[in-house]
Amino acid sequence: MASAIRLEGTAVPRPTWRHAYLTMTGWDLAGLRLELPLIVVVQILSGIGFVLGIGLFFQRIPAQVALYVSTGVVVLNLILVGLIVGPQNTADQKLAGTYEYLRALPVPATAAAGAWFTVALIASLPAAVVSLVIAELRYGISFTITPSIVPAVLLTAFTGTMLGYALSHAIDDPMRTRLIAQMLVFFVFGFSPILYPASQQPPWLATISWWLPFEHMATIVRAGLTTGVVSGIGRSYLIVAIWGIVGTALSARAVGRRA
Amino acid sequence: MGPILDGSFRAEGVTKVFNGSLRANDAITLHVEPGEVYGLLGPNGAGKSTLVKQVIGLLKPTEGRITLGPYDLVDDPAMARQLCSYLPQAQMPIDAFKTREAIRLTGRIRGGDGAAVDRRTDELIEALDLSVWRDVIGAKLSGGVKRLVGFSMVSVWPGRVVILDEPTNDVDPLRRRLLWDEVRRLGEWGSAVFLVTHNVMEAEKAVDRLAIIADGRLIAEGTPSSLKAQDRSFLRLQLMLVPSAATPTLPPFVMHHTRVGHNLVTTIGQTDASHAIAWAQEQIGCGVAEEYALGATTLEDVYIRLTGHVSSDDGEG
Repeated sequence: MASAIRLEGTAVPRPTWRHAYLTMTGWDLAGLRLELPLIVVVQILSGIGFVLGIGLFFQRIPAQVALYVSTGVVVLNLILVGLIVGPQNTADQKLAGTYEYLRALPVPATAAAGAWFTVALIASLPAAVVSLVIAELRYGISFTITPSIVPAVLLTAFTGTMLGYALSHAIDDPMRTRLIAQMLVFFVFGFSPILYPASQQPPWLATISWWLPFEHMATIVRAGLTTGVVSGIGRSYLIVAIWGIVGTALSARAVGRRA
Repeated sequence: MGPILDGSFRAEGVTKVFNGSLRANDAITLHVEPGEVYGLLGPNGAGKSTLVKQVIGLLKPTEGRITLGPYDLVDDPAMARQLCSYLPQAQMPIDAFKTREAIRLTGRIRGGDGAAVDRRTDELIEALDLSVWRDVIGAKLSGGVKRLVGFSMVSVWPGRVVILDEPTNDVDPLRRRLLWDEVRRLGEWGSAVFLVTHNVMEAEKAVDRLAIIADGRLIAEGTPSSLKAQDRSFLRLQLMLVPSAATPTLPPFVMHHTRVGHNLVTTIGQTDASHAIAWAQEQIGCGVAEEYALGATTLEDVYIRLTGHVSSDDGEG
């Protein structure tokens, strides 16, 4: 029995934001089904690698170093999917010519961004948890987890994802997107005070770091996992949030743009 | 749910200028009624895809209006995406999706109700003879099957305007026929279907009306028969030349000619038929041509006359 869809004289369907968000989350999850398990595994391995690897620099790792590394790795776990995998995927879509089809779907830009944030979070959380467990087992750190870890994790992952999303969509040339995303990750790993305190950086680099979100992501996540280690937490929330808003605004402008 | 909508699609004076000088679309005006299958024909680079990308809101016209019923699609690209479904010329992003899942998810994203989308998905899989690939992921499908899955994704929950950019690329002749039946069905349901193609022979059978676009301008519009009417007193003489043979000197009664590969297509007047046959046999006799065919002019001849191009893929013929 064939469907008889009648369009004339019927109302134009206007799916709700929630419908668009849920269906796009389903789309993104299905679209990543081949990569997602691999991403999660690589994230877990890299988290373990950092936690255990940095310990090998020392004969006996100082407690403060162990604490900074273990909590900093959680930040890396939370932002790397958004900062690398997002731009990489979009670059692939642009090169394969499938980007236009996705842009032509009747999905509000914010719903598509929200869906991708959800998927990036799903891909990030297992590694963050495993990193903490390994740190506790290896270094005997007892974290004091407070409810503020929830907003800290969400905001950190959100800002990382939105910055990656802005890179994906605001830069037309996919090769350039890839290059910038890779340089950014290099900068985040090597030159951002995430795994170590900003006070160990040369003053000029510490000044730059202060204006960027990464140090502050580490501060708010650390605040949710420890007591008395970090200060200026409110300010750090503000700076991470501002970067999240900047990323979202740039993305929204880019996605809605018509040449 | 938005307001009830009946209304025709209108493009008025649509002009798109790239980089300040390249006029990809030049004052294109056309209208398409609900239920109509409308062909956009033209050589590669003529500006067909540019036009449809402005309809769907991927590009913004430099000048002109695009409306569907009461809606201004240029001012409201979000509405344009809701009202139009679009099969781009490029491949679809379905490498990780199973066939049924890709079609179903798109129907849901387009706002279709779950059970109805499921039913319609299964019907399309059946109708396009895709059952063998129902649970196979896109990465393992051939180009032609992927194209059919893409068509299904676009038509599972169709918009008021359905834009199909070269839908039959790589599709085998048998399934092409099935696809045309489904295109027809979209029209019966009340969608205005835009068929973008450079395959004239196919379009001739599939469309109600068509426009021929060349160098960004709409140079002819009408039903296939009305466009052929002007060429009714002409005949088409086609010569298959011997490979590597140079184009022979053409007799004065040849009004127009085009050569693609070994294929020489000429237009002649009806009254010159006997001279034409004699000339063609002479070409075979002296080893320039291998065979010839004489017949009524087709839409292809009209197309060649108007654009100076041969449609590059004759498909199932």
